[in-house]
Amino acid sequence: MLEIKDLHVCVEEDGTEILKGVNLTINKGEIHAIMGPNGSGKSTLSKAVAGHEAYEVTQGDILFEGESILELEPEERAHLGVFLAFQYPVEVPGVTNKTLLRQAYNTIAREQGREELDPLQFEDYAKDKLDLIDMKEEFLDRSINAGFSGGEKKRNEIFQMAVLNPKLSFLDETDSGLDIDALKTVANGINQIADEDKAVCLVTHYQRILDYVTPDHVHVMIDGKIAKSGDKDLAVKLEEQGYDWLTDVASVSVNGEQ
Amino acid sequence: MAKVKQQTEQTFLQDLLDFQGSLNGESEFLDEVRLKGAEEVRNTPFPTKKLEDWKFISLRDLYRDSYELASNLEVDVPDFSEHFLPESKESRLVFINGSFSAEHSSTKALPEEVVIGNIANLAAEGNEQLKEHLHKHADFEDDVFTSFNSAFLEDGAFIYVPKDVTVEAPVHLLFIQTDADKNYFTTSRTVVVADEDSEITLVEDHIGLGDNKYFNLPVVELNLEDRSFVKHTKIQRDSFEAIHIARTAASVAQHANYESYTITRGAKLSRNEPRIFQMDEEVEFTVDGLVLIDGDQVSDTHSVMDHRFSHAESHQLHKCVINGKAHSVFNGKIYVQKDAQKIDSFQENRNLLLSRKGLVNTKPQLEIFADDVVCTHGATVGQLEEDELFYLKSRGLDEQQARELLIYAFALETIENITVDSVQELLVDEVHRYTERQLDSELTV
Repeated sequence: MLEIKDLHVCVEEDGTEILKGVNLTINKGEIHAIMGPNGSGKSTLSKAVAGHEAYEVTQGDILFEGESILELEPEERAHLGVFLAFQYPVEVPGVTNKTLLRQAYNTIAREQGREELDPLQFEDYAKDKLDLIDMKEEFLDRSINAGFSGGEKKRNEIFQMAVLNPKLSFLDETDSGLDIDALKTVANGINQIADEDKAVCLVTHYQRILDYVTPDHVHVMIDGKIAKSGDKDLAVKLEEQGYDWLTDVASVSVNGEQ
Repeated sequence: MAKVKQQTEQTFLQDLLDFQGSLNGESEFLDEVRLKGAEEVRNTPFPTKKLEDWKFISLRDLYRDSYELASNLEVDVPDFSEHFLPESKESRLVFINGSFSAEHSSTKALPEEVVIGNIANLAAEGNEQLKEHLHKHADFEDDVFTSFNSAFLEDGAFIYVPKDVTVEAPVHLLFIQTDADKNYFTTSRTVVVADEDSEITLVEDHIGLGDNKYFNLPVVELNLEDRSFVKHTKIQRDSFEAIHIARTAASVAQHANYESYTITRGAKLSRNEPRIFQMDEEVEFTVDGLVLIDGDQVSDTHSVMDHRFSHAESHQLHKCVINGKAHSVFNGKIYVQKDAQKIDSFQENRNLLLSRKGLVNTKPQLEIFADDVVCTHGATVGQLEEDELFYLKSRGLDEQQARELLIYAFALETIENITVDSVQELLVDEVHRYTERQLDSELTV
């Protein structure tokens, strides 16, 4: 589904290279986890996949379902079925969740040749999804993230993911700042959304969420590269031993898929 | 420069003198108002950039060109019923190029005891309430434009809401400006009196049907007696070539509440001067505004909130969205007079600048002579945040949809308190057309 090849990415503003040759393949039905210390480039990778303008791809390619998406605008990537749950969701006071999501849902549906939903149909559809994250109906009528607690914002990202039903989701630190109950709710939502036709990539600093969402593959990112890949046991080892044991091998490990 | 100015002033005076004779005779009362106005115009120079209050905008277009009195022109009036508000089917006064249109107006929904009608007819009938209130509340000392409006006062709306009467249906004051072969000017006057314990909602709506040049100079006088409540929404959608210079004065008595929302979208050059005068203790007033401009539009708001007695709560949130080479000016004067204690006044001017060539001048101005008051004021200029746009685009919204949503969210605060649903809806449409226009016509510079 997603193939990232030798991806180099710079911050457009000052030219600092953050990703220094990332290789990663995600197939449908898989759950991946990308872990790594602060500043290793995890968030940049998520944003580059979603198409953030502040990051410039200087080398390599990102293929989605076999086609390069480098030249596509963020919304065009969303239309194809790419979704990013933000680490810091933006607040838009005055615009309700429902307004944004119906517009987004219908735009994507139109682009994918599916039927659009009228306001009533959409409301029914969206209400079903609320259960996934254990939120009340009022949630639909609240302004986008305005005045939300940290946990509510993260749940809202998962809710949006459930509504927009993307093929590939990058979840950028969706677990950070959540207490254990909220974490379980979010994880439960992710588990229910994930199925054999979809792929999910959890970008996280901690192993904690992986107790509830079991990844098929775990990658460790260090200094702009994937330093090591493995199965869920790798996450456990990282939790126990930290990242230090990997920083030394980072320089010799060229390809994440060892 | 000086010579040119001299000449153009002459043009105005010339028009004035020609016209003076032709209108007089129908009502002695109006004749007097006009004569007095004409006299004031003769004695007051028109403002230039040299004056502090006019330094940011140029009135050259107004002075250079000649304008004819609108009612002297023969014009075609196309169907404009799309602009009728569903809530005001039978509470609407329509003025076409300044003249009352009985055919398009209806006041059936208003309680019988309310006096409502057009000034020309009421004056001809010798209506006492009109005489008592017209030209009593527009307290614009030495303002040549108010005098000019008086000098050419021909028609306009008059509403008197008696004691204890609540007018349920919003009253739509629809000022239609048509296309025409020649430049014209129109000077409507609106007078609204809310007697004790009364309540009324007004929608003052200026619409230009064409893209022609004209000069619209409306003056609105409002008098709020004790415990009355007036909600006043003004929407200015004049032609993009028009000049709109407006004065709105409200006198607010004890326990009265004046809420005003002014939306500026049209006109090449617009100047709004709302002035609120506190007439007694314990009053509330709101003077919010929303300005959406692009291209080479210039919009200037000079407001005065005059706190003259103790215990007042006032609120002014003025928001501007500027694109292209448009220029927004805000000067908000807050006066708190010597014995006006316990004043709680809020003022903020927020600007959303969408282009590099847009320009904002903002000047909140406090003059406080009392010592026990809370006055907050501030001004900000910001842009659409890239992260906000990215967030919405990553959800599948295109550039247009994302910008529109963010501009709407920015503007919303100033329109969400407007209680007439269809007006809220039409403002949402205005925001939509505004964002559409900027993207289509490359007005984003």
